[in-house]
Amino acid sequence: MPAGNSDVYNIVQAKFLATEIVKTIHLNVSIVDGPSSNANRVLALVEYNSSHALFVLVSSRCPPVSFSDLSIETVVPIDQHFSCETEPVTEQNYVTLIIKYRQTKYEYNVEIGKESCNFAAELIRAKEVATDNKTNFTWLEKYFGTMNQSNRNSDPTMSDRSDFVIVRNEMAQAQTTNNRESRLKYQLKLRESEFTQIQEFTIFIGTWNVNGQPPSVSLKPWLSYDESPPDVYAIGFQEIDLSKEAFIFNDTPREAEWQKLVMDGLNPNAKYRLVALARLVGMQLAVMINNQHYPYVKNVSFDTVGTGLLGKMGNKGGVAVRLELHNTSLCFVNCHLAAHVDEYERRNQDYKDINARINFKRNPQAIKDHDQIYWLGDLNYRITDLSNTQVKTLLIRNEVNTLLKVDQLNQQRERGNVLLDYTEGDITFQPTYKFDLFTDVYDTSEKARPPAWTDRILWRGKGIHQVQYRSHMEMRISDHKPVSALFKSEISVIDPIRYRKVQEDLLKWMDKYDNEILPQVTVDETEVIFDLVKFREPQSKEIIIANTGLVPADFEFIKKHDEPFYCKEWLRILPYAASINPGEKCEIRFEVNLETDVENLEDILVLHLKGGKDIFITISGKCQKSCFTQSLSSLVRIQVPILNLTEDEWDQVRKNNTPVRYSVPRELWLLVDHLYRHGLKTRDLFESCALHEELIRIRNWLDYGSQDPIPGTPQAVAETLLLFLSYTKEPVIPFELQDICTAAANNFENCRQLILMKLNDIHRTVFIYICMFLQELLKYSKDNSYDAKTLASLFGDILLRDQIRNSKPQASRGKANFVYNFLVNDLSSSLLPR
Amino acid sequence: MANRSGTAQRPNGQTQGKICQFKLVLLGESAVGKSSLVLRFVKGQFHEYQESTIGAAFLTQTICLDDTTVKFEIWDTAGQERYHSLAPMYYRGAQAAIVVYDITNQDTFGRAKTWVKELQRQASPNIVIALAGNKQDLANKRLVEYEEAQTYADENGLLFMETSAKTAMNVNDIFLAIAKKLPKNEQNTGQTGSGQGRRLTEDNPDNKTVMNCCK
Ligand SMILES: Nc1nc2c(ncn2[C@@H]2O[C@H](COP(=O)(O)OP(=O)(O)O)[C@@H](O)[C@H]2O)c(=O)[nH]1
Ligand SMILES: [Mg+2]
Repeated sequence: MPAGNSDVYNIVQAKFLATEIVKTIHLNVSIVDGPSSNANRVLALVEYNSSHALFVLVSSRCPPVSFSDLSIETVVPIDQHFSCETEPVTEQNYVTLIIKYRQTKYEYNVEIGKESCNFAAELIRAKEVATDNKTNFTWLEKYFGTMNQSNRNSDPTMSDRSDFVIVRNEMAQAQTTNNRESRLKYQLKLRESEFTQIQEFTIFIGTWNVNGQPPSVSLKPWLSYDESPPDVYAIGFQEIDLSKEAFIFNDTPREAEWQKLVMDGLNPNAKYRLVALARLVGMQLAVMINNQHYPYVKNVSFDTVGTGLLGKMGNKGGVAVRLELHNTSLCFVNCHLAAHVDEYERRNQDYKDINARINFKRNPQAIKDHDQIYWLGDLNYRITDLSNTQVKTLLIRNEVNTLLKVDQLNQQRERGNVLLDYTEGDITFQPTYKFDLFTDVYDTSEKARPPAWTDRILWRGKGIHQVQYRSHMEMRISDHKPVSALFKSEISVIDPIRYRKVQEDLLKWMDKYDNEILPQVTVDETEVIFDLVKFREPQSKEIIIANTGLVPADFEFIKKHDEPFYCKEWLRILPYAASINPGEKCEIRFEVNLETDVENLEDILVLHLKGGKDIFITISGKCQKSCFTQSLSSLVRIQVPILNLTEDEWDQVRKNNTPVRYSVPRELWLLVDHLYRHGLKTRDLFESCALHEELIRIRNWLDYGSQDPIPGTPQAVAETLLLFLSYTKEPVIPFELQDICTAAANNFENCRQLILMKLNDIHRTVFIYICMFLQELLKYSKDNSYDAKTLASLFGDILLRDQIRNSKPQASRGKANFVYNFLVNDLSSSLLPR
Repeated sequence: MANRSGTAQRPNGQTQGKICQFKLVLLGESAVGKSSLVLRFVKGQFHEYQESTIGAAFLTQTICLDDTTVKFEIWDTAGQERYHSLAPMYYRGAQAAIVVYDITNQDTFGRAKTWVKELQRQASPNIVIALAGNKQDLANKRLVEYEEAQTYADENGLLFMETSAKTAMNVNDIFLAIAKKLPKNEQNTGQTGSGQGRRLTEDNPDNKTVMNCCK
């Protein structure tokens, strides 16, 4: 990003999702053949999930000051069909950028300069990495919708979509669920350069295989070799204790003893503090830091891995310490790999195992994920193919380079078998192994091992500069010589003020983004008013929800607080939940069907958009009273059709303030009387399905009253009777009595007593009235084909109807048996009201 | 390459401020300027003709304080009386509320007091309540005296400011004052539901920790 453009850069980035990274931009671009002054295009190379695309944006202001100044003109995916060339414009300070995608060609003029060179180079680089033609460009889909129509057609990807799979409803969704914190972290990382600066730290790395010798000498000649004090020390030992106890119990007094020597041996011109010490058997690694830097160390962690005996014991393996110094993560690994000349493959394997198994308790957990890694230790690689004498001769002749060519580590690294991506400084020192103790003389024992550079220091990561790499011959207590390396390493240091500014910036930007991608819909109506609603005459109304946002909108009607269901029982919502894609609509149907006594329709529905706002939809409507759905005790108090009553009169009736006029409701009597006279001989009286209109006519006839005869066939009247009894406010046998009734069903006398004692007068009379009518019906069973059992089970379910309507009609034997008693026994005397 | 677990450090070596997330609900009679206040705070805009809210709108806005960052999830509710019964869905589980009235309309002040009472009775006990006397730009038509509202606010432990969504006066300030007053420790914020656009009721099974500290 060109520094001066950073504001514009942020504006361009704001056009995209947080995960779609604007890699580089180019301002003041004009289209070839366009007006020459019209350099109002911005080119942007955008990366998402390692796929790239070139965006051409038109800016209404130059330079743009807000992201809304920019509109996307063209989107070109960078895949195998993409190419980019440049062509100088004769006699002008311009160069033409020729972008081709399949058959389509775009040409832009840009000023010759660093910006255009960089931009073209980035495009070509993006094309190079886009070799994999499986790259997924579905993320571009949403931007096509934002372009105006003419460009849309000319868009190269739209003309041939065969290799361009589009999954519309996936767009942006992942983003919404994306964790804000990790987005912030990611963005901060991307803009790190804005709030960090590089500061050079000296890092001293030392490694020494001490051959189990007691810690008895000063380490100053090694650790304080340089005059100026390093900022960080990482000191590794191998074989500090070769005892069985150390091996088995991983416990040794040598740890503290060596560490004391280390602390004493550090450069006296500065004060140091131990950051971490890790040890496994004989391998020990201590990291010390200059006191003044200690406050900037955080997330310290260490781990150890044994790769020795059985592949896990700690006689071989590695110990590692990780930490963050300011804004840079550092990892130090001290290893002791498998011994013996021929075992280089084991050593490679040990290296791999250490990498695989070191697992810090902090992020990142793996060695490889650190900004800087320093790898030290007795790697134990030897010199192959040369005899002891040959090696020594070459050493005497100072032909170190010849020897280094046959150094196993160099060979294995060259073949990519170990420490891939690591760097090692030039070795200018003599092999550090194997010396006769207390001398500078290579092994004179019987085994006469050829000298080797077993002790090494390598590194990996950005900004690491080695300034020293040496051995320390004067340290003679071991058969190895210690090695040390001095680095000048670039540590990224945060400027807290600039950091806060960037963070705040990003948070604001994320807010804006989060608010923008909230699901947005409009509804054409938030008031749904029904016409006069009548008993069992369903009505429906529709509203339309349109998705006006950028993301799919998942809506759902949700339950209000303290309510059992998202709408009242007389309402049905279809669909009550669905997903609408951007730009699309969805029709929602509200159906009312009145089956209970409701005075007015009133409900406020909460239409919730997942992850977004709620919309309230008010449902209202007037209801027409009906004799259906009323209580028997109200109905016996009225002598006229229900709709002939004034509101006040009805109100009094409902409160049982008026006298009982009839022993059974007028409407019940009208229906039953009609059947007495016209229906007793009708075959399958209760089994035919009347037309809906016919039932409505009878309902109206009952509710309004009329001089005309009842408008319907006996079957329709019979069905109306069943409806009437099914919808009374309480069933004829109230819910709370039903259990004892069915329990008493096999004894008529008990049933009789129940009816007599438990039922109130009105309900008892209605019950007996119906049973007597059914007994009458049974007298004509030859004609109407009914027997007592059939009628008992039909009316059992109605007279003792379940509390929950529409639950599966399941004939209850108990209910049928209860009613059966009253169909086959004499009712004349004892049951009628006193 | 490296994915750092830590973000920044302050000079003293402590990790940078945490991000605390709070739910804030706006209540008050319809047309007092609730939506306008949110629009001003979140987008820096004002509309003379602000569409009336039929439902509850949801927006996000972050405020950076000296040591912490406060992210508000703002629920702007419909003010009409007929939606009153739905209000608990939004203020339950909210850690902050702004009760808004219109200084040119005495009734709306009365209504605001009712809201405050309801919040004190029904909302979470540590809810931070701010009273906003909006439309301060219309002070020449003032019907609610500043002192009267201030006294009421003092008596009830409310933050109080006169605001104007139109001129932006005190709009950021009132949110800022709330942000400062909100408890920033885990204990106080960790108990309630959270998440973008999630329901504010406590019976939400999706409840998640609120403290999304950025460390
Ligand atoms: N003069 C003035 N008008 C305002 C102010 N805030 C809101 N309004 C206007 O008052 C009306 C209602 O505002 P709105 O935000 O919809 O109120 P809400 O119903 O409480 O959300 C709109 O026409 C706004 O333009 C203000 O501070 N000053
Ligand atoms: Mg509003």
